[in-house]
Amino acid sequence: MVLEQLTGNLLQGLVLGAVYGMATMGLSLIFGVLKVVNVGHGAFIMVGAFVTLWAFTTLGMPPLVAIPLAFLIGMGLGFVFYYSAIKRLIKAPELASLLATFSIGILLEEIVKLIFGSEFRGYNWVVPKIDLGVTVLPMSKLYAFIGSIIIALLLYLWFNKTRAGTAMRSVVEDTEGARVCGVNVGWVYANSFAIGIGLTVASGVLLTMFIPVGINPYMGGGYTLKAFVIAVLGGLSSPYGAFFGGLVFGLIENGSYTLFALIPGVEPFALTRFLSFVMLLIILLIRPTGLLKAK
Amino acid sequence: MKNLYRFAVLFAFLAVLAFTTTSVAVDKIVIGHPACLSGKYAKAGEQAVGGIKACVDWVNNVYGGVSIGGKKVPLVYKYYDCESKKEAVTSLIARLINSDKVQVVFAPYSSGLTLRGAPVAESRKMLYMDHGGANNKIFQQGFKYVVQTIGPATRYHEGTLNMIHKVDPSAKKVALAYEDSEFAKMVMVGAEKRAKELGFDVVFKRTYPKGVTDLTPLLSAMKAARPDFVLGGGHFEDGQLFNRQMADLDINVKALSLIAAATLPAFYKALTTMAEGVMGPSHWEYGVKYCKAEAKRIGMIWVGPSQDEFVRLFKKALGKDIIPDYHAAEAGAQVLAYVLAVEKSNSTNSDKVRKALGELKFMSFYGGWDIDETGLQIGHSMVDVQWQGGKRVIVWPEEAQTGKLYYPMPTFKEKAKGKLAIP
Repeated sequence: MVLEQLTGNLLQGLVLGAVYGMATMGLSLIFGVLKVVNVGHGAFIMVGAFVTLWAFTTLGMPPLVAIPLAFLIGMGLGFVFYYSAIKRLIKAPELASLLATFSIGILLEEIVKLIFGSEFRGYNWVVPKIDLGVTVLPMSKLYAFIGSIIIALLLYLWFNKTRAGTAMRSVVEDTEGARVCGVNVGWVYANSFAIGIGLTVASGVLLTMFIPVGINPYMGGGYTLKAFVIAVLGGLSSPYGAFFGGLVFGLIENGSYTLFALIPGVEPFALTRFLSFVMLLIILLIRPTGLLKAK
Repeated sequence: MKNLYRFAVLFAFLAVLAFTTTSVAVDKIVIGHPACLSGKYAKAGEQAVGGIKACVDWVNNVYGGVSIGGKKVPLVYKYYDCESKKEAVTSLIARLINSDKVQVVFAPYSSGLTLRGAPVAESRKMLYMDHGGANNKIFQQGFKYVVQTIGPATRYHEGTLNMIHKVDPSAKKVALAYEDSEFAKMVMVGAEKRAKELGFDVVFKRTYPKGVTDLTPLLSAMKAARPDFVLGGGHFEDGQLFNRQMADLDINVKALSLIAAATLPAFYKALTTMAEGVMGPSHWEYGVKYCKAEAKRIGMIWVGPSQDEFVRLFKKALGKDIIPDYHAAEAGAQVLAYVLAVEKSNSTNSDKVRKALGELKFMSFYGGWDIDETGLQIGHSMVDVQWQGGKRVIVWPEEAQTGKLYYPMPTFKEKAKGKLAIP
C-alpha cells in the first residue's frame, strides 16, 4: 500500500515538477543574462493564469491554445517593463532592481484586481482521465507536462541553434567581448527580459492546467518562493538547470509526503515544506552554484 | 469663611453638574471598525461593511435611534481599510479609540486578525465585538471586553455529522482534512469529538499548510483510507483546490462538506458541476426562517429588520444588486446586540455595556444570540447548505430546510457528464 502511494505521488510529482521547472526558467534566464532578480516573478505567473481564465471563459479557448497567446502577452509586458524601468537599473545596485521588480509585481496585482476583482476564480475544463492504477491523471495535467517539456526543448534549440541565441549566450559569457564582436547588447538584454517574462506568463497557463482553481491577483507569492528554491537548486543563472531543479523539487515535495506519513505523530505536509527549505540551505552551503552548474 | 464654604458648595455642585452632563449628554454613538476592504479578506470585508451599514441604517431610520439618557441618538459608523493585515489592525484600533473617540470597536474579519486586535482594545478597556473570528481560543485568553456574534469553530461540523448520522446509518467511516490554521484546527477538534460521540470511525485525520497549491499527496492518502464521507477545508482558496483535486483523483464519497469555501457563490462559479452536492456549514443563508413570530413562539425578544428588509438595506448600502452572505448577517447582527445592550445599561461605558451583553438574549434575522461568561457565542445555531443545480439549498437542520438533502453526492464522473444534485 505504501509503495503504491509512493509511486503514485512520485508520478504526480514528476508531472508537477516539469511545470514548476518551466515556471522557473524565465526567472533563471533573466538573472543569467541581465543579473536582475525578478522578485515580481509570481505576479507574471498570475497574469498567465488570468489570460487562461479569460480566454477560456470569454472566448471559449482551450488552455492549450492560450499558451502562445500568454507568451506573446508576456513578451509585450517584458518589453514595456524593460524599456520603462529595467534598462536603467542594469548597472545600478542590486537593491534598486529588487525594489523595481517588487514594485512591478505589486503594480500587476493591483491592475488585475482592478479589472477582475479579488475573488478566487477557476474554470472547469472537462477532459478525460487516465487511471494508472497507482494514481489517476487528468489529461490536462499530462498536456501541461508535455507542454513544459516541449517549451524547454524549444528554448534549448533557440539558445543553441539560432544566431540570436548564440548572441545571448555570448552576452552571458562576456558582455564586453560580445559588444566588441558586434553584438547589440542592449537588444539582447531587452530580448532576454521579454522572453523570460513571456516564458513566465506562459507557465501561468500550464500551472492552471494542473490546478485550474484559486486564480486571484495575489496567487503568485507562493510560486515566487518555490521558483527561488528551484532556481537555486538548478543553478540560478541556468534555465535548463531550473527545469531539472523543478523536476527534483516536484519529486521530493510529493514523494516525501508518503515517507513522512509513516512517522507517527507528525503532520507530513508541514515536513515536506520544511524539507524543501532544508534542501535549499544544504545546496547553498555545499554547492552554491546549483546542481547542474560547474563549481 | 462662610463665603468660602458657599463657594466650595457651589463649585462642587457645578463640578457634579458638569460631570453628569458630559456622561449622559451623548448626542451620537460612534462605532469603529478596521474593515478588511482589500487584501485576502476583501470579499468577506465588503460583506461585513455592507451588513453593518444596513443595520446602522435600520437603527437610525426605522428604529429611530438608540435610547440613552432619555433620548434617541443616532449611530455613526467609522471605518478604515486594514488591508487584511495584522499590523494595520493594531494601529487602526488605537487610532479609532484615541483619535476618533469611538464607543465600541468591531473586530476585523478572521480569527487571526481578531486575536491580533484584541489586546489593543483590551488595554484601553474598550468593548471589542467579534463577528468574524470563530476560533474558541480567542475566548480562552482571559479577555474581558471581547464579545462574539459568529458561532465558535468547534461547532462548525456538528450539524453535518448529526445529519449524516440520521440519514445514513451505514456511513461509518469519516475522513477529516483541514487547513493548518488555528480556526480550521479548532473545527477539526470539534468535528472529531462529535464524530466519536456519534460512533463514527475517524479513518483519516490530517492537516495541510496554509497557502497550499497542491493537495495531491494528502488526498491520495485519504483515498487509500476509503472514507464514506469527508469533512475538511479552511478558507476559500484551499476549499476550491480540495474539491477540484478530489475530482481529479476520482475520490468518490457519499458526502463532502467544506468549511468557509463551499457556501460562497464564487465556489460554484469556479467549479461549476464539480461542486454539485457539495455541502458547507453556514452561520446564515438567505432563506432562513428566523422571524418575529418564531421569536415569539420560543419566548425570545425580537429586534432588527426582517430578512427581506435586511437584504434591501444591504443592497442600498453597497449600491450593488447582490444577496448578502453570512459575513454580512453576523456583522449586522452585532450592531443590534450592541444597541440592545446600550439601551439596557443606559450607558456607552464599555464595562456597563459588556455586563448588559452578558445578560442579553434575543433573536434577529440572523437567528439566536446569547453569550457565555467568556463572551463566546452559544445562542446561535448553524445551518448546512448544499449545492443543488447551481443553487444553495439549506438542508439541515430539518426545521430550517429550504429543500431536501441530495444523498449520496453524485460521483465526479457523473458530474463531469453534467449530472446535477437535484433530489
